[in-house]
Amino acid sequence: MAGKKPEYRRIRMDSGHHRRIRLTAAVLGLLAFVPMALRLYDLMVVNYDYYAREALRNQTRTTYVTAMRGNIYDRNMNTLAASVGVENVYLDPHELKQSRADLSAIAAFLGELLGVDPESIEKKGKDLSKRYQMVAARVDRETGAKIRAYIQENDISGIHLEPNSQRYYPMGTLASQVIGFTNASNTGSEGVEAAYDRYLTGGNDKVVTTKGNNEMDMPFSFEKFVSATPGCSVVLTLDSTVQACLEKRMEEAIARYDVQNGAFGLVMNVKTGEILAMATLSGYDPNDYQAILDPKAAAQVEELRFAYLSEPEGSEGYTAKKKAYQEAMTAARLKQWRNRVLSDGYEPGSTFKVLTMAAALDSGSIDLDTNFYCKGAEQIPGRSQLLHCWRSAGHGAEKTPQALQNSCNIAFAHIALKMGGETFYKYVQRFGILEKTGIDLAGESKGVFFDKALVTDTNKWGTASLTSGSFGQTFKLTPLQLARAISSVVNGGYLLEPYIVSEVLNAEGNTVLKQEPTVVRRTISKETSDTMRMLLRSVVTEGTAKNASVAGFSIGGKTGTSEKIDVFDENGSRVTDKIVSFVGVAPMEDPGYLVLVALDTPSRSTGIYISGGVMAAPTVGSVMSDILPYLEVERNYTEEDAAGWEITLPDWTGETRKDAEKALKALGLTARVVGDGENVTGQIPAAGETVSGDSQVLLYCGETPEAENVTVPDFLGMDRMKAAQAAQDAGLNLLILGNTDISPAVTAAEQSVPPGTKVPWGTTIRVQFLNTKAAD
Amino acid sequence: METVAALYRLEDRRRRREGVDPVFLTLVLALLALGLTVLYSASYAQSEYDTLYTVSTRYLQRQAVCAAIGLTAMALLSRIPAEIWFRLAWPLYGVSILLLLSVLVFGESVNGARRWINIAGLQFQPSEVAKFTMILVMARLTAQYGGRAEQFRFGVLGFGAALLGILVPLALEKHLSAIMLMGMVAAVMMFVAGTRVRWLLGAAAGALVFLVAYVSLMGYAGDRITAWLHPEQDPGDTGYQILQSLYAIGSGGLFGLGLGKSRQKYLYLPFQYNDYIFAILCEELGLVGALGIMTLFALLILRGYRIALNAPDRFSTVLSAGLVTLIAVQTLLNFGVVTNLLPSTGVALPFFSYGGTALAVNLGEMGIVLAVSRGRYRPKRQEQRFGLPDQQEESV
Repeated sequence: MAGKKPEYRRIRMDSGHHRRIRLTAAVLGLLAFVPMALRLYDLMVVNYDYYAREALRNQTRTTYVTAMRGNIYDRNMNTLAASVGVENVYLDPHELKQSRADLSAIAAFLGELLGVDPESIEKKGKDLSKRYQMVAARVDRETGAKIRAYIQENDISGIHLEPNSQRYYPMGTLASQVIGFTNASNTGSEGVEAAYDRYLTGGNDKVVTTKGNNEMDMPFSFEKFVSATPGCSVVLTLDSTVQACLEKRMEEAIARYDVQNGAFGLVMNVKTGEILAMATLSGYDPNDYQAILDPKAAAQVEELRFAYLSEPEGSEGYTAKKKAYQEAMTAARLKQWRNRVLSDGYEPGSTFKVLTMAAALDSGSIDLDTNFYCKGAEQIPGRSQLLHCWRSAGHGAEKTPQALQNSCNIAFAHIALKMGGETFYKYVQRFGILEKTGIDLAGESKGVFFDKALVTDTNKWGTASLTSGSFGQTFKLTPLQLARAISSVVNGGYLLEPYIVSEVLNAEGNTVLKQEPTVVRRTISKETSDTMRMLLRSVVTEGTAKNASVAGFSIGGKTGTSEKIDVFDENGSRVTDKIVSFVGVAPMEDPGYLVLVALDTPSRSTGIYISGGVMAAPTVGSVMSDILPYLEVERNYTEEDAAGWEITLPDWTGETRKDAEKALKALGLTARVVGDGENVTGQIPAAGETVSGDSQVLLYCGETPEAENVTVPDFLGMDRMKAAQAAQDAGLNLLILGNTDISPAVTAAEQSVPPGTKVPWGTTIRVQFLNTKAAD
Repeated sequence: METVAALYRLEDRRRRREGVDPVFLTLVLALLALGLTVLYSASYAQSEYDTLYTVSTRYLQRQAVCAAIGLTAMALLSRIPAEIWFRLAWPLYGVSILLLLSVLVFGESVNGARRWINIAGLQFQPSEVAKFTMILVMARLTAQYGGRAEQFRFGVLGFGAALLGILVPLALEKHLSAIMLMGMVAAVMMFVAGTRVRWLLGAAAGALVFLVAYVSLMGYAGDRITAWLHPEQDPGDTGYQILQSLYAIGSGGLFGLGLGKSRQKYLYLPFQYNDYIFAILCEELGLVGALGIMTLFALLILRGYRIALNAPDRFSTVLSAGLVTLIAVQTLLNFGVVTNLLPSTGVALPFFSYGGTALAVNLGEMGIVLAVSRGRYRPKRQEQRFGLPDQQEESV
C-alpha cells in the first residue's frame, strides 16, 4: 500500500475505538454537565437571596425629591424665612427621541413660557449624552401647571417637572447675617440656616426605580415611593421689632457720623442669655444674597468689572483684571455675609474697664474708697511707654466710682497693678474671654487675648500688657464675649451661654428641641454685682455716658473708644481709625436687657468729636427708648427729668374746673384757665397729645379754644435753657430727650418738627440733647 | 469480491432511502427554536439602544437569516455521503489555512482582534470553517492510520502536524479561545483514534505550560486570574462582566423572572446576546429552564455519539464523533465561563449565541452528522478487532 493514494475504506471502527467513544460520550454528555448543574443550583437556589438583592441594587436608582424646608420664626412667630414649592423643568432627550416628539415646537413653547432661548432648549433636547437636561430651575407652580397641561394636550413624553423648593425671606435684609440663606442646592449657608440645617432640611422624598444601565427604561420596572418628612421649623429668641429698632438706630448713626466701615450691635437678655437682636451693617438681602448691597462696595466691584471688560478679551490685562474683579466680588460677598458680632474680634477699649473694675472689687484689691490721682500722664514701673490718660489735663484726685465715670486710664492701670496679673487673668478667664461663648450659630471666634505669661510674669515681660489690658487695649474679643461678660457683671454674677434658637418644632408643631438658659459659671459675687450696677448707673448719670439717658428708665453702661492697633495705611503707619462703642444695660434696679452698639470708623469730616460717649451712647439710648416700652419695662419718672417725661393728656371736657386742675397738678403739669365757667369746655393741647412733664395746659371754661398757629423755631445748637426760653416764647411745649444736663456743652442735636413749620399753639416738640464734647 | 461489491451498492441505495435520525434532528430543531427565542429576548434592549429605539429585532433578523442559510445547508449536507468529505478534507484544509492567513491581511478588526473578513457586506469568521476542516483532516487521518494510531509517529506526530497547520495561523490572529477549543476537540479525536493516553496527557501538560506562558506573555494573566477568582474585588472593571453574569443567573432563582423579563439585559450585562446569553436565559427561565436546556444539549451530545457508534465505517464514525465533540466542548466551555467555573474566554453557545457564521456552520455540521445517521450499521459482518491489521478493505 505504500505510495498508493489513500482510498476511502468501508471498514467498521473496531470495538476498542467504540469503547473510547462511549467513554467520551459519558464524560462530555453526562459527567461534565454535573458540575455545571451543581454550580447553577448553588447560584440560583442556595445563594438566590444574595444575588437577587445584589441584582436589585445593581438595577435600581434612587432619586431624591427635596422635602419642604422648615420655616424660621422670630420669638413672636413672625416668619423670617419660609419655603415655597416650586418645580424644576428638565428634558429627557432619549425619551423625546423615543416618542418622536416635535422638538422645535416644544422648544418654542418652553422658550416663550420660561423666557429661555428656544435654540438652547432644542440643543439640549438633542443631546443624547445625558438623560437629564435642565431647562429651568425653580419655576413657580402656576407655570408648572401650564407645562403639565401642554404635556397632556400634546401627549409628550420627555418633558419632566420635579418638585423643588424656593426659600423666601419676607423681612428682606432684617437680621440677614443671623438668619443666613440657602444656596442653590437648598443647603443652609451662614447663620441659623447653616447651624440648624440638619433640622430645617427634613427627610427627602425618595423614589426607588429600576432602571436599565445608561438610564434606559425597562418595560417591567417598578417604583417605590418613600414620602418626605418636612423639615422642622426653628423659633428664634430674636424679636423682629427689637431687631428693626436696633438696625434703624444703627443706620441713623452711620449716616449722622458718616461711619466708614459699618457697625455692629446686639440686644441680649442679661438674665437668660437670649439674643433679642443681632445686627451687622451693612448686611445683605438673603433673597438675593449674591448681590452686593452696600452701595459703596457695589460701586467698587462694578468699577473693577468695567475695568476688565474694557480690556480686549483674552489679553493678559483682561485675565489679570478679571481675576481682580472676581476676588473683589468674593471678598465683598464674604464681608456682607459676615456676622461681626460673633465672628470678629475687636479692641473693646474702655468698655472692658467694667470687667477690670468688677474683678478688682470682687477680689478685694480695691474698694469704693480707694484713692487714685491722675495728672494726665504717668511713668508706670515696668512699662517703657509713658501712660497717657485720654484727658491730657488729668482727672486729679479720684475715688473708685470717679475712675469709672471718668474712664480714667491711669486709675485703671493702678487698679490692675494692685490686683496683679494672676488675679486679672483669672477673672478674664472666668468672664469667658478666653473661650467661645458657645452660641448656637456657626462661625464663632474667640478673639485674641494675651498669653498668660504676658500679664502674670511682669518681672519678665513688664507691665505693659497688664496695664493696657486693664483698659481694653492691645487685645481683641468678640462683641458677644463682651456682652455676655458684662451681663454676668450686672445679673448677679452668672455667666450664661447665649442662644438664638429657643425651640425647634416639627411639622406637626411638636417641640423637638427646646433651649433653656444655661449658666456656665459664677464670675463675681452678688454684692460685687450690686456695686457694679450702681457704678454703671453713675456712668450715665454723672460720667461719660450722659448722652445715653432716657427719661423714666435707669440706664447704666460704659463707653468705649478704641484705636485699631493692627490696621496700617499704605505708608505702613498705624491708622488712627477708631471704633466707638457703648454697652448699655437697663433697667439698673433689676437689669433686663443689654444693648451693645459699635460704630467702626466714624469720619472726621462731620466735625463731631469721635468718641463712644458722643456717638455710641446716644445711639444705644435711642434704641433703649424704642425697645424698653415695647418690652414692657416699667417707666419710673423722677423729679429731675420731668422735662423728659411723656404724658398723654386725658380728656377733661365736661369735668368741673376744680377736678381738672387737681388732676393736672397730680400729673405735675401746670394749668392756665381761660374763661370763668364752672366746667371745662375745651383744652389745649387736645386729649391724646403727648406732653412733657413740665408743660402748661390751657383749660377753657365756657370759651371755645381758638386754634392759633405758631411757628417752630430752630432749636439746634441751643443749650437747654435757651431752648426752653425759645419754646416758651413761641408757645410750644418741649420734650427733652437724651442728655438732661443743663450745661453749655449739652446742646440740641435733633428736633422732631423742622424749624419754620406752622403748628397749633401748645404742640409738643421733641428735642434730642447731646453733649458733643463728652469723651471717655 | 463481486458479491461484496453488489451487497455494498445495495446498502448504498438503502442508505439513501433511509431517513435521518429523527431524535437528533428534533433535538437540533428544538435547540435552534429555543435559541432564536432567547436571542430575541436577550438582544432586545441592545437592539433598541443601538438603533435609538426604532428597531427591537436587529439581532434577531440577522440571526434568522443565518439560521435559514444554516438549515438549508443542513438539509443539503444530510444528503451527501460522508466519502465526499474524505476526498475534500485536504483541499478544504488548504483553503482554511489560506482564509485564516487572509484575515491577517484583509481582516476586519473588532475589539482589537482581526478575526473576521467581509464578504459582500457579510461578516465571516474563517476560524469557524477551520474548526470544521480540522475535524475532517483528523477523521481522514484516523481512517487511514487505523491501528497504526497507536504508534507515536502516527498517533502523535501525524495528528499533531495536521493540527499545527491550523493552530499556527490562529496563534498569529491571537485567537486564544479558538486554539483552546480546537486543541480540546483534537485531543478527544486523537483519544478516539487510538493515540495512547499517556501521550495525550503529556500533550495536555505541554499545552498547559504553553497556555500559561502565552497568557503571561500577553501581560494580563494576573488580572484575569484575579477577575476569575475574586470578581468582586474590581466590580467596575475587570470583575464587571462576570459579576453582572452572576447577578443575572442568581437572580433568576428557581423559576426565573419569566421569558422576556430579564433586567440584566438592559445593558448591565455586556455580550448578553452572544457569549453570555445563557446568563440571561437563567435569569428569565430560572434553574428549571436552565436545566431543561442543559438536558437538551446533553441529549443532543449523547445521541450524536450514538450516531457515531452506529456509523457504518471508520471515517464517518470519527467525523461525526468529532463534530459532536465540537458542539459538546463549546457548550461546556460556555456554561463554565458564564457560571465562572472557568476563567473568561470568548466561547459562544451553539444555536443560542448571536453569530451568523457560527450558527450556519454549526447547522451545516449537524447536517453532516445527520448524513452519517442515514446509514446505520447493521451487524452482519464480523467486527474488526482493535489493533489488528485491516483485511477486508474495499475501495470505491
